[in-house]
Order: sequence, then C-alpha cells, then structure tokens
Amino acid sequence: MPISSLFPFPSSLKKMFRELHRMTSRRIYLVAAVVLPLFLLLFMCTIFGSGQMRHLPIGVVDADNTSTSRSIIRNIAAVPTFTIVHHYADDAEARAAVQRKEIYGYLSIPHHFEADMLGAGATISYYYHYALLAVGGEVMSAFEQALIPVQLAPIVVEAVSLGDREQGIEHFLLPMTADDHALYNPSLDYSVYLSLPIYYIMFQILILLVTLYAVGSEAKAGTGGEWLSAARGNIFVAIVSKLLPYTLIFIAEALLANYVFFHWLRIPFTGGVALFTLCSVLFILATQSVAVILYTLLPALSVVISVVSMVGSLGATLSGLTFPLSAMSPVVRYAALLFPVRHFTEAMQCVVYFGGGLMACRSSLLVLCLFPLVAMALLPRLRMIMVSRRYDTFE
Amino acid sequence: MIRLSRLPLCLRVACRELRTVATSYAVVLVLLGGVFVYGLLYNYMYAPNVVREVPIAVVDHSHTALSRQYVRWLDATPQVTVALRASDMLEAKQQMLSAQVAGILYLPSDFEQRLLRDEPAVYPFYASTDAFLYYEALETANLQVMEAIDDEYRTQLMPYLTLPELTAVATRTPVTVVGTALYNPLEGYGIYLIPSVLMIIIFQTMMLLIAMLTGSECQRYLLRPYARLQGRRGGIAISLVCGKALAYSVLYGLFSLFLVGGLPLIFDIPHAASLSTLVVLLIPYILATAFLGLTLSRWFTDPEAPVLLIAFFSIGLIFLSGVSYPLELIPWYWRVVHYLIPAAPAVLAFVKASSMHATMADLAPELLTLSLQAVAYFLSAVWVYRKKLAMRLGV
Repeated sequence: MPISSLFPFPSSLKKMFRELHRMTSRRIYLVAAVVLPLFLLLFMCTIFGSGQMRHLPIGVVDADNTSTSRSIIRNIAAVPTFTIVHHYADDAEARAAVQRKEIYGYLSIPHHFEADMLGAGATISYYYHYALLAVGGEVMSAFEQALIPVQLAPIVVEAVSLGDREQGIEHFLLPMTADDHALYNPSLDYSVYLSLPIYYIMFQILILLVTLYAVGSEAKAGTGGEWLSAARGNIFVAIVSKLLPYTLIFIAEALLANYVFFHWLRIPFTGGVALFTLCSVLFILATQSVAVILYTLLPALSVVISVVSMVGSLGATLSGLTFPLSAMSPVVRYAALLFPVRHFTEAMQCVVYFGGGLMACRSSLLVLCLFPLVAMALLPRLRMIMVSRRYDTFE
Repeated sequence: MIRLSRLPLCLRVACRELRTVATSYAVVLVLLGGVFVYGLLYNYMYAPNVVREVPIAVVDHSHTALSRQYVRWLDATPQVTVALRASDMLEAKQQMLSAQVAGILYLPSDFEQRLLRDEPAVYPFYASTDAFLYYEALETANLQVMEAIDDEYRTQLMPYLTLPELTAVATRTPVTVVGTALYNPLEGYGIYLIPSVLMIIIFQTMMLLIAMLTGSECQRYLLRPYARLQGRRGGIAISLVCGKALAYSVLYGLFSLFLVGGLPLIFDIPHAASLSTLVVLLIPYILATAFLGLTLSRWFTDPEAPVLLIAFFSIGLIFLSGVSYPLELIPWYWRVVHYLIPAAPAVLAFVKASSMHATMADLAPELLTLSLQAVAYFLSAVWVYRKKLAMRLGV
C-alpha cells in the first residue's frame, strides 16, 4: 500500500484542480455559489429599511370634536409609530380604509365623549389590523401605551383640583409598575431580530443545492468513474477534493456576512468572535454533509434536487425562529433535530444573544459534528453509486 | 382516440406538456410534494396558532403574600408558566443561557413595603427576544397581571387617601379603552401566515415545474420539430407559449381547488373570499406566473441548475409581499421588485380577500398589477420563444 494513500490530503490538493476547472466551466456554479449569497446578504441588510416600525399609516374618527378629543388626537399624532393619514367621518369609512390596507388601524372617539368622561364614564376604542400580525401587534402596543395617560388624566386632574398631590394620586392608581426589559434587542428592531438568522436559513438552502448539484452532476454527465479514478478510487479523497473549494467559498461568505451584520449593521453581539466563527464553519460542514447523505439515499439528481428545493425552506419553520418550536407538536419538534439549521440557530442564539461560551452551546455544536460522521459512513454507498452508474439516467 | 395532429397547434402543445409532466418522476414529485405534502405540512405545523405556557423563572426576594399572589396569578395566565423559582438572579440567568426559560421576573425585597409606604413599587421583568412571539406573550401576560393586582390593591389602599372626598373620584373609571383585533379574532400566528404560504407554494412550484420542463426541453432539443414547422415564427411562438400556459393553468386550476379551496376549510384558516373573487384573482396570478417562468426559460438550459436559483427565494417572497413587514417601510427599490414578481401582489390580494372580506373593488390595485404583469410577461415570453425557435433552426 503506498504511503501517500494514508495521507490523502496532499494528493487531494491536486484533485481540487479538477473541481476548480469544473466550477469555472459553467456559469451556474458562479451564480449559485457566489452571486446569490452576496445578493442574499444585500437583501437581508436592506429589506427592513431602518428596522423600526415607524410612521405606520393610521386614521382617526373624531365624532366628538371637542378640545379633549382634539388633544387626544394630537397626542396620538406625536407617537413615533404612527402617522395619521386621514380623519374619517365615521367608523364605516375608516373600516373600509383598513380593508383597502390604506391604514393599519384607527382610533375612534365617540360622540359626547368629553361630556361622558366628566360624568358617567366614556369609552374610547381603537382597532388594529391583525390579519397582518406583525404590524398589527406594533400598532396595538403603541395604542395601549399612548392611551394610558388618557385613562388616568381625568382622575389626576380632579384629584389635584381637590387638593391632593399629583404623585400621590398617581401612585394610588398604579400602586405597582412593571419595568419591562426586552433582552438582546432593546429597540425591538426587526433587522436585529431577523436579518442574521434568515440569512443563514436561506444560505443553507443554497449550500444544500450547490453541494447536491456538484456531486450529482458527475453521475448525470456520466463522469462519475473519471472522478473516482482521478482520486485513485478513494471516495473520501474524491468527495473532499470536490467539496473543499465550495466549503472555502461558503466559509468566506459566512465570515463576510458576520462582519457585515455585526460591524456595519451593528447587531448586538455579546459572544466570542472565534466561537461564532466555529459555529458558522460547523454549520456549513454539517449542511454539506446533509446534502451528501441525501444524495446517497436518493441518487437521482433531478429527483433529489426537487426534494431538497422543498425541504430546504422548511428550515425557516423548523429553526423555531418565527413560531417557537416548543409550541408545535412533538413530531415537528423531533423532525427539526434532523436539520443542521435548527442546531445552528440554537448555538447562534446562545453565542450572539446570551453571550454563551463553548460549554453553553456544546450540545448543539456536537450534534453539528455528527452530520459529517454520518455522511462519511455512507461514502462506500456513494462509491457504489458512482461505479454502478445505475441511476445515471433516472428521471 | 383523438389524433393529436388534428388539433390546433396550441392544444397539441398543451397535451404534450401535460404528458411530459405525467411521465417525469422529478416533476411529479415537485407537484405532489410541493402542493399536497407542503400544503398539509404547513397547516399541521402552525395548527397550534398561539404560544401558550412560555416558561419563565421567578426570583422572589420579597417573600410576602403580595409577591406570592403575583407569581400565582402570573402562573395562572394562559401565556406563562413558572418553570423555576430561582434563589438568585445568577441561577435564573444560567437557566436563560441554556434556553430553559424565556423570561425572568424579579421581585425585590422591599416590594410590598414600598407599596404600603406609598412609594412606587417598581419591579423588573426581563423577556428574551429571540422569538418575538415569546416576548409578546410575556409582555401581555405581565401587563394583565399587573393591572389585575393594581385593581385589587387599590381598594386596600383606600384608607390611606389623604382627602376623604377623593375616594369617590378615585374609584371610578372615567375612560375605558377598548382595543379590537380586526380580521384575526383568534389572534393566531398560523391564521396570519398560512394564506401567504399557500400563495407562495403556487408560485414556487410552478416556477420549479417550468424550469424543469423547459430545462430538459432545451437540453434535448425538443423545440426542433416546431422550428421546422411551416408558418410565421411569431405565430408558432404564440401557440407554444399559449399552449404551455394552458397546460399549467389546467394543472394549477386543479391544485388551487385543493390549496385555496380545500385546505382553508379543513384547517379552519380564514376563507372569507367568495368563489368569484378567488377566480378573478387566480386567473391573472397563474397566467402572470406561467408567462414569467416561460420568459425566464431563456436561461434554463438544463433541468436541475435553475432549481438552484429558484428554490431559495421562497422566504424572501414573504418579506417582499408586505404581509410580514409593512410595504411602506421597505426601501423603494424592493418595493419596485414587489411590483415585478407576481407572487408579491398576489399574496397581499389573497390575504385581503380571504382574511379581510375584501371585495373585488378592494383588490383593484393588485388585480391591475397582476394583469399588467400577465400582459408584459406574455409579450416577453413570446419574444423569448421566437428567439429560441430561430436558434434551433440554426442548429
């Protein structure tokens, strides 16, 4: 046995030139492995604008037309979340405007509001658009905040006129107050919340597809045998030399993305840079391994690519980013364990948000390391697929 | 049996297209998997709809009846469950680091004293923002408990009021604020997300279908027979484009029955749209998507490569549609893209129709956009196919 086969890497460097030649021979590799990730980075950096939900269009219905109602409206107009775009004559008109999505909510002050407020008690209503849940939630909490003084003001005014201290009556009305802190994202900025994780979720789909295409196109073009013989029949050398150039490109892109997100976009980052780089690298390796595993299980390129094109976008749901996984059914929760992006999201949240160290996110990182091992265990089958050429023309 | 050659060219193309669809594993897989499995799976995953029983840690340094009551009431809210009573902040933070809890309530040692001493009793509540739904649930629950306990304690504090005549003033509520969620009375996340996902499934699977079909058409020179036909090349190109679009429309007409007709009924997601509105919306949507796909087929030279470029856009489309993040706040250049991709206005229109009871008149802007897209992409598709035919003749 030649000694060089025990140390496959130096020879695999030479084999890499074969892959580099393949990569540069077709535009699709350049587009899918370089242009799209950069486009994606640009997209995630810019899509949320300032990231703050500001100046959302809302309407008001003022059926009272008194100094009280006008002062309430002035207060609402000063809330940064809102821009009052229209004063409607009645509720029906405002409701129709919501229907046309011209406004995301409206405040309705009824007739006789001021008189009722001084007498038996009045009601002020606001409506928010909850078919668009994210915007509706913002509108609701802004209305809640802005209307608290309206609720208390009449009592405070009257109590002070009777001779009480203003502080005293306010304390009486609200004996305890919660001091809410939004951890990791104090300004509740959408770009802080979504840009980084969604970038990696979409990046994951690209990594899966590019890896599948790089491996599968060998079989499809009937060059599987040539590929193997270039690696002297060693499937491990063959796969490493094939995928390493992509791995390096992906790692470079991940590092660039991390730099852009944390340095330019100033996403709060409390953890260690080296640790998060390690997370990104392990994530890329694990995702590439999943592509290899899927290909060995379903070795027809056209079929496996169509499967992965759909499975990939499940990552958004299964990462637990939008809707918490713990609220989903146990089947979904366990299925999520099979997706590297789930473990990456856990590790990412631990490092980026909680400032966790290696020990805090060890389990996620260890699981990410398992994916390449499984892929390696399946390599003999990949070799068989390439040699037998049974699936080359399967469609 | 009907002889295909007797039919007009357009219908012959449609029949041939449908036959190709039925005989390719990869295409059938995309359609079955993408439309049926995906449609069911998404509904199943988001069926819980609301976040319940978010685990929090409580650090109670007050150890009084009041603090115990607070924790008990918070635990009793549907959104929160007290998973841990930590002895100090350090322990609670550790639990948060390992993602065991999503929030920390800290009740300081002088919590009740301050309340009875007529000083504001402020206590911090920390909520994690790694999932916005968690944060929203925790914030709402905490606010509700705070208000409930404030109401309860106010009566106990009555004897401490400095002026006896204040009692009458302080106990009444002059202004009641009522907030109403429009169009989503269950306040469910699935109710908000699923309609958009259904429309994006239509777009994505159709683009994949067209990419796979036209990719293999190009790879196997399947256009050559048409290029040799007698007649004007423009006329043949129109027949080709119309025939293909007809085939896709037939397929997606059936799929839409399942996606927008059947699924909303099975899973109880909003289905307020009338049949006529849905038909009027889906016709320009399906046509615009088909023609866009056929236009892009200019660059689809093999059946697998385009999948790499199409698959990863699905998540981005949700952002571009303006459903998850308001259209008014995304930068103008992405708003332009919103008007170029049929999926974006269609998602918005479908949400309006199915969740918001919008009539056809309310959908006018989106229907106009979709119709213009359909016309523009039809012209570009015909142009692309004319080019393709000319190229094939030269081969």
